[in-house]
Amino acid sequence: MTNLNAVDPAAVAQDAHLENADVVIAKSTIIFRRFMRNKTAVAGLAVFLGLTLFSFVGGFFTPWDKETIDPFNIGMPPSGDHFLGTSQAGIDLYAMTVEGTRISIMIGLIVGLVSVLVAAVYGCTMAYFGGKVDKVMLFVLEALIMMPALLVVAVATSGGGDGLKKNLPSWLLLIIVLLVFSWMGTARLIRSMSMSLMQRDFVKAAQYMGVPPRRIVWRHLVPNIGSLLVLDITRGVTGAILAEVAFSFIGIGIKVPDISLGVLIGGATSQVQTFPWMFWVPLTVMFLLTGSLAMMNDGLRDAFDPSSSSVGRAKKNSAEKKSK
Amino acid sequence: MSTFLEPADPAPTAAERLHIAGLHSPSDAVLSVRDLNVSFNSENGAVHAVRGVNFDLMPGKTLGIVGESGSGKSVTSLAIMGLLPATAEISGSVRLKGKELLGLSDKAMCAYRGNDIAMVFQDPLSSLTPVYTVGTQITEALTIHNPGMSKAAKETRAVELLAMVGIPSPRNRLRAFPHEFSGGMRQRVMIAIAIANNPRVLIADEPTTALDVTIQAQVLEVLHTAQEETGAAVVMITHDLGVVAGIADDIMVMYAGKPVETGSVDDIYYDPRMPYTMGLLGAVPRVDVAEKSSLVPIDGIPPNLLHTPTGCSFAPRCPLVTDACLDGEPALSPVPGTGYHQAACIKSGSLGGDVDVHEIFSAPPVPVSRFDLIPRGDRSTVLELKDVRKHFPLTKGALLKRRIGTVKAVDGLSFDIREGECFSIVGESGSGKTTTLLEIMEFHKDQDGEVIIGGISNKQAADAKTKSAMRREMQMVFQDPTGALDPRFTVYEVLAEPLQNAGLSKRAIKKRIMELMNLVGLQPDHVNRFPNQFSGGQRQRVGIARALAVNPKLVVLDEPVSALDVSVQAGVINLLDKLRAELGLSYLMVAHDLSVVRHISNRVAVMYLGKIVEIGEVDRVFDNPRHPYTRALLSAIPVPDPQFERTRERIILQGDLPSPLDAPKGCNFATRCPVFAALPAAKQEHCLTLEPPLEAVQPSAAVEILEAGPAPTPDQRFACFFPDGELDEHMLVVHETAEPHAP
Repeated sequence: MTNLNAVDPAAVAQDAHLENADVVIAKSTIIFRRFMRNKTAVAGLAVFLGLTLFSFVGGFFTPWDKETIDPFNIGMPPSGDHFLGTSQAGIDLYAMTVEGTRISIMIGLIVGLVSVLVAAVYGCTMAYFGGKVDKVMLFVLEALIMMPALLVVAVATSGGGDGLKKNLPSWLLLIIVLLVFSWMGTARLIRSMSMSLMQRDFVKAAQYMGVPPRRIVWRHLVPNIGSLLVLDITRGVTGAILAEVAFSFIGIGIKVPDISLGVLIGGATSQVQTFPWMFWVPLTVMFLLTGSLAMMNDGLRDAFDPSSSSVGRAKKNSAEKKSK
Repeated sequence: MSTFLEPADPAPTAAERLHIAGLHSPSDAVLSVRDLNVSFNSENGAVHAVRGVNFDLMPGKTLGIVGESGSGKSVTSLAIMGLLPATAEISGSVRLKGKELLGLSDKAMCAYRGNDIAMVFQDPLSSLTPVYTVGTQITEALTIHNPGMSKAAKETRAVELLAMVGIPSPRNRLRAFPHEFSGGMRQRVMIAIAIANNPRVLIADEPTTALDVTIQAQVLEVLHTAQEETGAAVVMITHDLGVVAGIADDIMVMYAGKPVETGSVDDIYYDPRMPYTMGLLGAVPRVDVAEKSSLVPIDGIPPNLLHTPTGCSFAPRCPLVTDACLDGEPALSPVPGTGYHQAACIKSGSLGGDVDVHEIFSAPPVPVSRFDLIPRGDRSTVLELKDVRKHFPLTKGALLKRRIGTVKAVDGLSFDIREGECFSIVGESGSGKTTTLLEIMEFHKDQDGEVIIGGISNKQAADAKTKSAMRREMQMVFQDPTGALDPRFTVYEVLAEPLQNAGLSKRAIKKRIMELMNLVGLQPDHVNRFPNQFSGGQRQRVGIARALAVNPKLVVLDEPVSALDVSVQAGVINLLDKLRAELGLSYLMVAHDLSVVRHISNRVAVMYLGKIVEIGEVDRVFDNPRHPYTRALLSAIPVPDPQFERTRERIILQGDLPSPLDAPKGCNFATRCPVFAALPAAKQEHCLTLEPPLEAVQPSAAVEILEAGPAPTPDQRFACFFPDGELDEHMLVVHETAEPHAP
C-alpha cells in the first residue's frame, strides 16, 4: 500500500461535487416531493384523512347515537335537530353515517394491511424455496383463487357460521373472510418479482460470496419489493371497502345492528323515491372514501416507482433567474 | 378570438437576431443549428442540458459528435428531431434546408421526421415493433410520406432497401418478424427504414454501441453505403473516438452541454487544442500498440448543470487550470493559424501538437508486479480448467419435449491462470464467454470437466466447508456497477456483507472497510452513502472493493469497464492494473473490447462457438494472429487514428454467428471464414469434415537461425488448417488507398 493514495484527487473532486448540499437528496424527501407534486393525490389524501377524522370525532357533534329512536322525527328530511335527517325507524342518519364510515375504514385498513403482509410472506417463501414447495404453494393459491368467494361469505355470515357468529361481531367475521380471499393476486405478483430479483447481479454477487439464501431473501429481496407493497396496501384498502359495501348491499356482509356504509346503502335502495337522503348520503361518503384512495394511488405510484418521470416542468426563465 | 395577435414566439426572433448578427447559415447547409439551448427540470431544479450548440451540416458530409455521457449529445439530436418531452424547454434555431423546425407542432414535425430527417437509435432490439413483420414496418415508413405510392411499388422499394443494407434474400425476409433477426440485422433494418425516403439528414445516435465488434464493422459499412447511395448528411453521435475516426469528416467535442472543440477530423485527432479532447484521446487504449503505458484518466466528473458555470466548465478537472480559466466561460474561438478549427480554451494557441498528454494529465507510472520477473512456468496455478463442457439440450414441443439438438455453449475448454497474471477471454456474444464464467463461479461436483480453484478440484467440493474455502479464493466484479449493488444498502453494508459472512468481528470489519476504501481510491467518509449517490466509476470501485474484501487470489472480471465512459474507464483500468501489481492478484477477464484486453492482459484466449480457436501471450496473438477469426476480430476494432482508419484493410465477416443447429461438423468457423471462402474445393472439404486441433505455433525458420538452434515454442496456439491461406477479396474493404506520405 505505498502509492495507493495517488488516485485520490479524483475522489476529492467528486466529493466536493457531491458535498454541494443540493445534490444529495434523501430518498424520503424525493418520495414526499413527488407525491406532493401530484395535486390530485394530495387532495385524495386530505379527503381520506378528513373522513377518518370525521368517523372518530363526528359523533361528538350530535346528541343522537345509532341506536336511539327519535319518535317525533320518523323519516324526516335533514333539519336542525338531525343534520342529515332520520331513517324510517327514526334513527339519526348522521350518527349512523359516522359509525358506518368508521367500520368501513377499519375493515378496509385491516384487510388491506394484513392481506399484503400475508402475501409478502407467502410470495417470498415460494420464490425462495422454489421447486416442489413452490409448486404445492402455487396450487393452494390457485385453488383459493378459484373458490367462489361470494358463496363462502354468504355461508359464513348467515347460515353456516352460527358458532362463529355468537362469539364474533359480524364485521370481524367479514374481515376474516375477506382476508382469506384477498391476498392471492398480490402473493403471485410478489413471487414473480422476487424471482426476477433473484436474477439480479447484486443477488448473484451475494451468492458468489457464499451468503446463505435465507439471509439473501431477508436482506436483499424483501426491502426491494417494499415500494410495491406500499402501493398494494392502498389498492387492498380500496378493494376491501368496495367488497364490504357490495356484500352488505346484497345482504350477506355486515348484519344489523352493526352498521356500515354498505348496510346503509343497501337498506335505502328501495326507498330512494321516498327517503332520498337515506340513499345519497352514505353513497356520497363511500364514493369520497374510495375515490380519495384511488386519487392517492396514482400519486403513490409516481412517488415510489423509481422509473417514474415525475420531475415537474422546466420553468421558463428559471435558468436566467439562477444566473442573476 | 383569432383577431388577437399571437404573442411573439421567442424562438424565431432569437433566430432572426442571429441572422442579423451575421451568424446565419451558409445557404448550402442542409441542417444548420444555431444557439440551441435545452433545459429540463429535475428534483434539484432546472438542468441546462444543452447550452448553445451551433453547427452546419453540408450535404453528403458526416459530423461526429463525441463526449462523455451527460454531455448533451443525445439531447441535441432529440431536440433536432423534435422528440423531447413537452416538459423540456428548447430555444434557439434548427433549420432544415432553410426551414425553421423548432417551435413546430408535433403534427407539423411529422412531415419532416422520417422524410427529410431520419434517425437510427442505439438499441436495435427495442426499436422495432415485435408484432409487425419487417416488411410492414418498412412500407409503413413509405406509406406515411408517399400516400400515392402503389402497393407493388412500395414492396419493390422495400426489397431494394433491404438489399441495400445487405440482408440476404430480401424478398423472403420481408415477411419475417423482428425476433427472427439478430441484433446486427435489426440495426440494418432500422437503417433501411431510416433511409427509405431518401432523407437529407440521417442522425445516428450510438448506432453500434449495443453490437459486437464484427457486427459493428458490418453496420458501419452499411451506414457508409447508405450515405453514398442517398447522399444524406449524417450526424453520428458516439462516445467511441475510434468509431468516428474512420467515417466522420468533422468532429464536435461536447462537454457540459457545450461544444468545446470543433474541427475537421484530422485537426481533432492530430492537433487537439482543448485539454478535454486531449484527455479523451489519451484515455482510449489502442489495440494496435504493444508498448505498455498507463492510460490518461480525467479526474472528477462533469459539472452539475444546475448552475451556470462561472468559469471554464472543464476547469475543475483540467490539469492546466489557472486563475484566468475561472474568469468567465471561454467561447468557441478559432485556433490561431488554422482554418476553421475552433476550441473553447484560453490556451488553445499554446497547446500545439507536440504536447505530451501523459505529462499534462500526470498519468500514473506503469505498475510492476513482483510476479513479472518470475517466469510463468514457476508461478503457482490459481485456476485451472480441464476439458470443461456445458451443453444445453434444445427441445421442441410443448407437452412432449423432443430433443432436436444440442447447444454446445462451452465445448471442451482447458486453460490455466498463474499467479499475478491477467487472462482474458474474447469473442462475439454467443461464443460462450459468459457461460465459461458461470461454470467457474457456480462450480459443483457434477460438472462435466474439472475446475480447480486454488488447488482444490470441484470434484471434492461436496461439503459446505470446502466450497466456502474455494469461494474465498475467487471473487467477481460485474459488468453493470449499478445492478451489482443493492440500491438499498449503504457502501458500508455492501462491503460488510462478505466480511460478516467470513465471520469477522465488528471492529475488524470496520478496519478492513476503511482499508478497502483507501485501496480503491474512495473517500473513507463515503461509506454512509447509497450507491445512487455515486458516479458510475465510483460504483465500479465499490464493486472492486467488495470483491477484494476477503483477500481473494483470483478476481473474475465480467466486462468490468464496458458500462463506463472512456475517461472513467481509464481510471478503473489503471486501478485494476495497480491492484494486480501491488496485491499480486490474478484476473480472469471477459471483454468484448479488444483494446482494453490488449492493454490489461498478459494472456488471451479467443473463443468461437464454445471453443478456443487461438490462445497465447497477448502481444503474440494480437501482433501475429494466426487464426482467421482472430484476424477478422482485430481488423474490426476501430482505432482512434483517422489516417490509419481510412487506409487500413478490414475483414468484414459475412453474417452472424451460425445457429448451433447448423454448426458444421468440421471447423465451426467455416461458414464465415474468409480463408475458407477462397480455398479450392478439395481443401474446403477438409475444413468441413475434420475438426482442427489446437496446435502450437512453430517458430519460423528465420527465428531458429537467429537463435542458433531450436527456439523454445512460443506461447501461442491456434486451431486452423490453413492459417496462411489467401483471404477472400469480397470480405476485404478498404475505403481509401494509402497515400505515399501517410504515416
